[in-house]
Amino acid sequence: MSASSETAEQYWSWTKPEITSLNKPFWDGLKRRELLIQRCKKCGEHQWYARANCIHCGSRELEWVKSSGKGKIYSYTIINMVVGNSPIFNKELPYAVALVELDEGPRMYAMMTDCYLSDVKIDAPVEVVFKDVASDLTIPMFRPAKSQ
Amino acid sequence: MRGKVAVVGYGETPYDRARVERGQPRLTAEEYASWAMDLALKNAGLSKSDFDGQGLGVAGTIYPHAEIWSAEVVQNLGITPKMIIRADQGGASAASLLTQSALAINAGIVDMFLCIVADAPLSMPTASASGARTWRYENDYMLPFGMMGPNSIFAFIMRRHMHQYGTKREHTGKIAVTQRYHASMNPVAYLKAPMTMDEYLSSRVIADPIHLLDCCISVNGGLAFILASKEKAKQITDKPVYLMGFGECDNYMHGSKNRPDVTYLGIVKAAPDAYQMAGIKPQDASFVEIYDDYTIAVLMQLEDLGFCKKGEGGKFVEQTDISVNGQLPVNTHGGQLSAGQAGIGGGCSHIVEAVRQLREEAGQRQVKDPKIGIVTAIGGLAYGVNLVHNIVMVFGKEV
Repeated sequence: MSASSETAEQYWSWTKPEITSLNKPFWDGLKRRELLIQRCKKCGEHQWYARANCIHCGSRELEWVKSSGKGKIYSYTIINMVVGNSPIFNKELPYAVALVELDEGPRMYAMMTDCYLSDVKIDAPVEVVFKDVASDLTIPMFRPAKSQ
Repeated sequence: MRGKVAVVGYGETPYDRARVERGQPRLTAEEYASWAMDLALKNAGLSKSDFDGQGLGVAGTIYPHAEIWSAEVVQNLGITPKMIIRADQGGASAASLLTQSALAINAGIVDMFLCIVADAPLSMPTASASGARTWRYENDYMLPFGMMGPNSIFAFIMRRHMHQYGTKREHTGKIAVTQRYHASMNPVAYLKAPMTMDEYLSSRVIADPIHLLDCCISVNGGLAFILASKEKAKQITDKPVYLMGFGECDNYMHGSKNRPDVTYLGIVKAAPDAYQMAGIKPQDASFVEIYDDYTIAVLMQLEDLGFCKKGEGGKFVEQTDISVNGQLPVNTHGGQLSAGQAGIGGGCSHIVEAVRQLREEAGQRQVKDPKIGIVTAIGGLAYGVNLVHNIVMVFGKEV
């Protein structure tokens, strides 16, 4: 974490994923303000995170499709301490991470934003927002859904 | 497989956190492995050369991180085994070594196995080194999303258990406080000072609802056990501890793959297989040693093991004396919550403690007249579920 060769800029930068042939469409989608998840062309089931085959039926015929970005909170935590992640998250403490059940089916871990911690509740409806956390990285976060 | 293989020796080093300024040793994993082997050999009355032509079991380490680790371990120890098995199931690694080596012995390939799990995550040089990388799905899909490793993953599970069943922190607190009491009677335990319920409840928040005293304490240490065929075991010791049954379930999702109920572990599938092989009911157990990276993990496994219905774990621990003197002694060594989690080796302490109890060598914390012990192991935190690897083992004094 604090290797001597690391610059202050690297130290205080957001934790970066490794962009691979498998997950590149997801990260590219975020830059276009689209939340993409995988759908199986054979059985029609969705899945998240990125895999090389359908975890439901085993087919390798997968496509990236746009999620509605809507869902509800299955569970959540309020992070009070940074452990094993970038020190940059110290600037966010305390903050909520939710396990969001997307309307399409899969669950996704994501930070809650644009709300009070007291708004973060199990079963609360939420919607995605896109946050540019670095010049080359956009992360999906969620906020309470606007009433319809 | 029932009673075909027995544990005939064990070793467990003291646990430390490499706090040199407090007079603690700062040792390498290699030193702990050697130390654990020595203790196990002495315990069994065997010598290192007895394992030439036998089996060696090796688990990975958080530090150092070497993928081709068995080659180092076998050279360092100076053994010439007939076969090596290597486990990479995180906290369930020691249990996996045990079940794999039991299968190899039962197949007649060898008649003894020496299994060693030693780790020194606290001896990492802070400036230049890092531990074993975590899972790719954690690096790519959890850490950039604000997650904080196991503490945060277990927070979701604990929150959900509280939400669905009304489980309270007083329930998990009883587990923490009782295990600390057990650790106070365990000479190798790292945390021995008594803990009160108030101290538990007011310990600092890490990832709400997970507080500091819900978490295991990371330590350096080494553990080992020796397995032998039933026939060989009788030549080695007059106190063999038989493996009566085991069951395993990996990547279990209760309900659906996309939306599993995270309050069920794969233990719920592994336990019936273990009981069937052993010919027991959970209530036959004299004690249980339950893999305890977090307090809620113990409570959930008491349910999955069948001691109470799903969701009634809180009420069960409230109404049951889980101390060594009680109806169902749980984690009689203090577990990883108080004795310590020696990196990947943490799950071996439950196996060693079960053997120690069944041989009635547990000193002050000895369970009275034990006959059957149940041991669990869980490892590998999954994305959006709970633990990937789940193993249940049943040990007994007599076949």
